Amino acid sequence: MFKNRIVGSTAAICMLAVFSTPTVYGEANQVGNECFESRDGKTQVTQKEVAPGTLNVRCSPTTGGVLWWGDPFDGTIPMGDMPASVDADYLHEEAVVKPREPEIDRNKLLTVCTVACHNGEYVPVPQSKEPRPLAMHQDIVPDSMKLAHGKGAIWCLDCHSKTNRTKLIDHFDNEISFNQPQKLCGKCHGQVLRRWREGIHGKRIGMWDKGGKKRWWVCTECHNPHDVEQGNRQSGFAQLYPEPAPMLPKGMPNADHERVKHGPGH
Amino acid sequence: MSKDDSKIDETGSVSRRDFLRKAGTYTAASLSGAAMLLSDPKPAQATQNVTWAEHFQKNYRLMTEEEKQEAIDRLEKRYSEEFGKTVTVDGSPAIDGVLFGYALNIQKCIGCRRCAKACVQENNQSRGPEQEIEWIRVLRLEKGEFDVNDRDNAGYPEGFGVQVGGNAYKPAGVVLEGQHYYTPEQVPEKDAFYMPMQCMQCEKPPCVKVCPVRTTYRDPDGIVVIDYNWCIGCRMCIGACPYWARRFNWGEPNLPNEQMNPVTHYLGNRPRMKGVAEKCTFCIQRTRKGRWTACVEVCPVGARKLGNLLDPESDIRKVLQTKKVFRLRTDLNTYPKFFYFMD
Ligand code: HEC
Ligand code: HEC
Ligand code: HEC
Repeated sequence: MFKNRIVGSTAAICMLAVFSTPTVYGEANQVGNECFESRDGKTQVTQKEVAPGTLNVRCSPTTGGVLWWGDPFDGTIPMGDMPASVDADYLHEEAVVKPREPEIDRNKLLTVCTVACHNGEYVPVPQSKEPRPLAMHQDIVPDSMKLAHGKGAIWCLDCHSKTNRTKLIDHFDNEISFNQPQKLCGKCHGQVLRRWREGIHGKRIGMWDKGGKKRWWVCTECHNPHDVEQGNRQSGFAQLYPEPAPMLPKGMPNADHERVKHGPGH
Repeated sequence: MSKDDSKIDETGSVSRRDFLRKAGTYTAASLSGAAMLLSDPKPAQATQNVTWAEHFQKNYRLMTEEEKQEAIDRLEKRYSEEFGKTVTVDGSPAIDGVLFGYALNIQKCIGCRRCAKACVQENNQSRGPEQEIEWIRVLRLEKGEFDVNDRDNAGYPEGFGVQVGGNAYKPAGVVLEGQHYYTPEQVPEKDAFYMPMQCMQCEKPPCVKVCPVRTTYRDPDGIVVIDYNWCIGCRMCIGACPYWARRFNWGEPNLPNEQMNPVTHYLGNRPRMKGVAEKCTFCIQRTRKGRWTACVEVCPVGARKLGNLLDPESDIRKVLQTKKVFRLRTDLNTYPKFFYFMD
């Protein structure tokens, strides 16, 4: 009886946790306003004052995208050790990242998941790594038999720990924090990881100079690990709303002239 | 000049347009300047107050250290009063051993225009319906108009648009006849790619060559700068630039106090006046202090890279070594330090 009640409420929490509210962007640029960095809905920043008259970020009133950092290191933590590499200058630099865990835990998903759902009882520890239809997480993976990552070659448990759902895993089943997805992605995308370390793939903000402090964007700040295909687009980056076009020059009624297609003859 | 017609106010400033009307006969280029060329029939109602000393100062490039400091102090005081907050004007010179280079991944760019807007946030351009100035333009091109493998095929007749040079300084099969005003629901669009353009900080800048008062020049870190005080508004530089990178303040710039970025550089984002040219300076107020430019920081896909070309370990040098790279209009021997690359 008692046990049943727990299971019942657990299910309720499980259900609650997966429904996230859609983001609505209000007036730009006032304290308390929310906008996003690279992934709409998954890289949210709340505006606050970092110095008198200076906001941590300035945001676009039309798209809700962050346009400007008053403090490039606001809300960051140390990156932790960089995936192995030789002769790298950046090992001597201060490297920080925005932690992913608070973002994932927005609806208390991370806090409750091992307690309420993946506690080995309510949801048993999976016995195999074979893909199977799932009754949960459709908001994240609409059809688990058609995971939009890996063209059928990978499964949830190639990335998520099967015993501890608050962690990702490397090739040896060692746990990786959600805050260091580069270690996870790098196990399969070695080339990209290498370019990322060099600062060519992905992005860094803060100080460009050698020895200067840098905030490194981690893989999941740009890529949705559950959908790197985006339907027919076959692209690892989701579409965004563009910022408004520049103003037309005075006296130009519209930009129709631009759309006129010239034939191949020119 | 008598007191009543020069209209000196309590702060010792004088209305710029008034001043120019009276002082036109003083003939120095900086005095008769741009505002004379753009003379306004309406009664003087200048928003820009310029101090006497400012009008008589030398070209920044030729000032002694003390004179530079004086000029900066004057400006800090004036801007702080004008914008109602503490405004700093930095005069940092080029850092030794640094030559700035920029690389843009044209395969990653999604055409979202955040760079163009971030630049305005940072660099205090004029905004609003009367005069909107953006230093970065993003061109939308059809996929077919650009093919990596065709880079060396000069497939277009002479004189048609701008041609893109390949790595080997050959013309390539691209005409920059793109759209500026595209407004799709979402970007990137299928079959389109995007080519952002801004000042390329040429090693041999045509704009510098044509400036009759030498108020625009190349600094040792490779940034082409402008001393706005000496700009006479002739707009020769604007015509000379093959990359359409320069903009002109036809009217008094509109920069609301609360939107003004108070961290400025003398040769960069300090507020401009009517009648002067302006352009991208690789955010000189940031980069000379070690910080990345606003456009590098804002790019949501990480397509923009800036670094030191003289440092073999820098990301920019790694891009040049490992990626397919091209520059625009290399046939003109401008030697731009703005590179485009593909994975
Ligand atoms: C390629 C590795 C990978 C695979 C495969 C993968 N995940 Fe994830 N998953 C991640 C990473 C990384 C995160 C953290 C995302 C973030 O930081 O935004 C995550 C987050 C989650 C979350 C937390 C909610 C959120 O914010 O996204 C859930 C739930 C989840 N995954 C379920 C699944 C399920 C179910 C599957 C299989 C159908 C799956 N994942 C497959 C890597 C993966
Ligand atoms: C267990 C191995 C594995 C892990 C871990 C993994 N991936 Fe992948 N990923 C793949 C495979 C396999 C493909 C499919 C390649 C193909 O299209 O054939 C792929 C494809 C991709 C693509 C699209 C590639 C393309 O060429 O279009 C992106 C983007 C991507 N992954 C990003 C990530 C990110 C980000 C992470 C970490 C959160 C990650 N991957 C973790 C195996 C993995
Ligand atoms: C600043 C955003 C950003 C970050 C951070 C980032 N990527 Fe990417 N990545 C992109 C974009 C944009 C593309 C191109 C997407 C497209 O057009 O399909 C891409 C493409 C990819 C691809 C497929 C194409 C290729 O280049 O091989 C893989 C795989 C990939 N990323 C993995 C990663 C991994 C792993 C990390 C972390 C180590 C990472 N990305 C970090 C933005 C980012």
